[in-house]
Amino acid sequence: MKYVCAICGYVYDEEKEGVPFSELAESWTCPGCGAEKAMFDPVQETAEKETVSAAAADDGLRALSPRAMSMVFSNLARGCQKQYRPEEEALFRKLSDYYLSHSSEGAAEDEKELAALVSAHLKTFFPQAEKAASENGDRGALRARLWANKTELMIQSLLSRYEKEGEAWLENSRIWVCSVCGFIFIGDRLPAVCPVCKVPDWKFELVD
Amino acid sequence: MEKKAVRNLRLCTKDCLCLYVCPTGATDTENSIIDVSRCVGCGDCAAACPSGAISMVPAVYPEQQEKKEEVCFALNALIEAKAEEEMTAASLARKTEKVGLRRLMKAVTVSARLSGEDLAREAGYMLPQGSPALALLKALRDNPPSDDFPLNETNRIIEAFKGE
Repeated sequence: MKYVCAICGYVYDEEKEGVPFSELAESWTCPGCGAEKAMFDPVQETAEKETVSAAAADDGLRALSPRAMSMVFSNLARGCQKQYRPEEEALFRKLSDYYLSHSSEGAAEDEKELAALVSAHLKTFFPQAEKAASENGDRGALRARLWANKTELMIQSLLSRYEKEGEAWLENSRIWVCSVCGFIFIGDRLPAVCPVCKVPDWKFELVD
Repeated sequence: MEKKAVRNLRLCTKDCLCLYVCPTGATDTENSIIDVSRCVGCGDCAAACPSGAISMVPAVYPEQQEKKEEVCFALNALIEAKAEEEMTAASLARKTEKVGLRRLMKAVTVSARLSGEDLAREAGYMLPQGSPALALLKALRDNPPSDDFPLNETNRIIEAFKGE
């Protein structure tokens, strides 16, 4: 039996490893990306996709919130940066900052609320976006959704591990974020390429 | 299609061949950014660069592939989801006194922003000079959301991209 990591695609082959997947310690993590054991699915099993209600698409009809607008504008600033247009980049940053300063503050009491939010989003908005993108043959949208979905799964896995192991786990661990896709890696040695978007390791930035 | 040379500073190894081959001196600048006003688009610098640090890009970018309304709606909902996570993680990072958790929350804040930006790119906002971005800027110019809205900056962007 084989098991595959939902984030980076690493395959655990019981036959080659000689140890049944179920007998691996709960603290075992993916050798490819560091995800928790729970992120692995058996390969044979064809996961039945949850049907997505079309009604949920209405949520996107609302005008974007100030923080989402801030994201739109910081993205456009990046677009200017890629084109080597620092003046326009700075102007878009002003717009992004304006919307950020008008954004609501989070009211969550602890990280468990964030974990609940992440799990809810993984069940709703991600499959809805996949459905809309694939029905319209939009491969660019499919790509962005896939990367965001994998980084989201990693966030879910990290929050779950933090809940189990607490501060002791992070005390001597370094935290990195891929500056391209947002994938978070915790550990001493970065993988040579990002497990999600495949950029080289120098594109990762250390969080301190 | 008219082209312009751009240099990726992360790849540039300062072999400086572009300085030798450029017929107009556009590659020789104090900030290492190729001077587009001097670049004639001949491509000699890109061909000579041993590090592949120079690319030829169109002087006027093509429009992004058309986005279907349904896709934009679904991606906008996802951008909102990432915005909510950024908001939550940022406030937890500020509130907590646990050092490890603060770093983790900072990482989630950064990550949520990057995902949100990438999704915005696919929701029609890839090009800062593209039609959806300009339409948004013009709508905001005509109906500023508040008194402290950066109207001047908005007008300057619209002006800068005029004719592109």
